[in-house]
Amino acid sequence: MIHSLTLFWIMFRAALLSTTGTGNLPIVHQDLLSRGWATDRQFAESLAIGQISPGPTGLWVISLGYLVGGLRGAALTMVAIALPPLLVLVLVHGLYRRFGHHPATQGFVRGLGLAVIGIFVIVLTGIMNTAGWSMTNLMITGGAIALAATRRVPVIAVLILAAIVGIAIY
Amino acid sequence: MLVSPLRLLWIWTAIGMQSFGGGSATLYLIRRVAVERHGWITDEDFTRYWGICQIAPGINILGLVVLIGWRVAGAVGAALSLCGLLLPSAAITVALTSIYASVREAPLVRAAIAGVVPATVGLGLFLGFTMTRPLLNSARREGSASTLIAIVLLLASTIVAARAQTPVLAILYSAGAVSAIAQWQLAGRQKSEEGPRG
Repeated sequence: MIHSLTLFWIMFRAALLSTTGTGNLPIVHQDLLSRGWATDRQFAESLAIGQISPGPTGLWVISLGYLVGGLRGAALTMVAIALPPLLVLVLVHGLYRRFGHHPATQGFVRGLGLAVIGIFVIVLTGIMNTAGWSMTNLMITGGAIALAATRRVPVIAVLILAAIVGIAIY
Repeated sequence: MLVSPLRLLWIWTAIGMQSFGGGSATLYLIRRVAVERHGWITDEDFTRYWGICQIAPGINILGLVVLIGWRVAGAVGAALSLCGLLLPSAAITVALTSIYASVREAPLVRAAIAGVVPATVGLGLFLGFTMTRPLLNSARREGSASTLIAIVLLLASTIVAARAQTPVLAILYSAGAVSAIAQWQLAGRQKSEEGPRG
């Protein structure tokens, strides 16, 4: 049974303690999976929906909120991710002017970013574990990377193509 | 106020609804509207704000929207702008998810998703690659020591994260702290080396 307040707190804490739209992913992933509230499949699904829906990519987590806790889960998640960015006002009116260009600040942001990417890779590996490391899956993954690398093919086209391949094979 | 509240709400709604394809598309639209079309902020402001948003918590784009909204009409402007960008996009995201959830177990959808999941992993890996590049590039500009530290942090956090029991917050903030201290020390050393010559 999903507890609404806990879900809100997980989403809020993750957004507050991270930066960018995917920075919260490692935290949310660990918090929800350890409680058995979400599956790797749901993470993959919400990331895909986040890619095709409008607005910042960070809204993937609202899709996850819906899959985990229905409409209420989505609404709670939306409020939870809308609050932390307001702190930017505190930054701009003080802290940033003083510490923004300090080498330690720049270093901290970079370290945080690198760790997010490292953990992100492990989360993706976990998703691949549930999907299975079959030859077909690896070829789809490789194909998606190749298409994305051209930077000419829109994300939605890649996903539709993958869906067609899935229907044809499975 | 430079624009009526309703108009402000609508401008941000339009940006939110038009920006398919993630952060860079949204950022491009925001710049065009706030700097070029309405002149709410200058180009320099835009760049400075975006820099601040990099170190702000949460989704960077939302932070930027709050800052620009504040400049247009104070607290009301910030709230309206945030709602304008977020609510309609969130509603569409929820609608798409609920449609998906209702057909999720259909055999055809299951097959389609079996194809989409590995593709999502591929797109995610590519996203990771594009996020890594600017970080490593800025490290490279600072010299080989910074580059080495960045690469070690990336590999170390990946390896530690692979052990399922490690709290991710510990990984994130240890990496941040190590990088902060290293950068500080390196910057100090560079300054003292430049000192006698300059």
